[in-house]
Amino acid sequence: MVKASLILGIAILVVVGTVLIGCGGGGTETGTLQFYANGEDFVRQGFVSKDGWSISFDHVYITLADVTAYQTDPPYDPHSDGVIQPEVEIGLDDVYTVDLAEGGEDAPPILVGEVQDAEVGHYNAIYWEMVRASSGPAAGHSIVIIGTAEKGGQVVDFTISIDEECGYSCGEYVGDERKGILQEDGVADLEMTFHFDHIFGDADTPLDDDLNLGAIGFEPFADAAEGEPVDINMTELHLGHVGEGHCYCLCE
Amino acid sequence: MCIKRKLITGLIFTLALCLVLPMQVYAHGARIEYTSSTEIEIVAKYDTGEPMGGAQVMVYAPDNPSTPWLTGVCDDEGRFTFVPDSTKPGTWDVQVRQAGHGDMVHIPVGEGAVVAGSSGGYSVLQIVLMAVCVVWGIAGTALYFSRRRA
Repeated sequence: MVKASLILGIAILVVVGTVLIGCGGGGTETGTLQFYANGEDFVRQGFVSKDGWSISFDHVYITLADVTAYQTDPPYDPHSDGVIQPEVEIGLDDVYTVDLAEGGEDAPPILVGEVQDAEVGHYNAIYWEMVRASSGPAAGHSIVIIGTAEKGGQVVDFTISIDEECGYSCGEYVGDERKGILQEDGVADLEMTFHFDHIFGDADTPLDDDLNLGAIGFEPFADAAEGEPVDINMTELHLGHVGEGHCYCLCE
Repeated sequence: MCIKRKLITGLIFTLALCLVLPMQVYAHGARIEYTSSTEIEIVAKYDTGEPMGGAQVMVYAPDNPSTPWLTGVCDDEGRFTFVPDSTKPGTWDVQVRQAGHGDMVHIPVGEGAVVAGSSGGYSVLQIVLMAVCVVWGIAGTALYFSRRRA
């Protein structure tokens, strides 16, 4: 009788333990996290450079790799260093070449990819690399910008190719709404934002503003058509952002 | 002996004086009340050091990262102050934006800062039940074998 009770007790122990472990380990809630790339209205609608060139874009190809989102606590500070220490991390496996000028003037940002079984929580940091494409319209380059510039009746059709590869470590998106807050069975998004006014400058911004002081302008690229090489330091141009939020950038 | 008595008398007198003096002060009717609060001040500046005067500020409490708990604008010096709700400990996020420039600062408030996301670990009840089961299993097994030897 005692032996039967003990066997029954051990059996109950095994069943209860199994159920408890099952409940604890399989309770991770998930949703869908989407990754977007955005060249902003500067790319979609064109703009006037700091040196007076009216620029419009036909294609702006950019190739992205190792796109990864993180949940960090404390939140990652891109002003400190490039090391993100995540509690949760998910990412896209492939390399993507996207055209930031795709669509009309009011086109939405470009969907790069998504992860459908992302653990819920606040994805408050993101990392991506800008790499040279191995094939396609941007093969051999990390950025290819194709468009037309006009100034004082002079029209220049241009193709600007950039070969530098960069890694961008960014904190939370800064903009009209907070991004990356993923709830169970919900959809959230993160954005890789590219500020092309940092390359060409912006006539609507004071010339002594830091943005224009650091920008190249378009004049050197117009001269490049006549054989003048353009020296571009992508690390100093800070092309990659998260909305208005800055990123830690390392290029080579 | 006499000196000892004088000392004791002196101590009693001093003690009595100490007890009386506060009552005299209180008798004037002055009363000060205070509330303890932690005010947070941020100062927003551009990289050049220029203050972000008039910049838009949004404050997010730890329990609701989607909806601003408070909104406002920086003063001419780029300053903005607020008193966080002390019943909401954790990381308070403050976003400042102006003319296409922006940044966000994360301020820990109180103890036991809230951790974003979920870990998927065991609940306290599950841990207690599992511990009871383990103890029961060990004791039962030990009793079973000790009875067989007997």
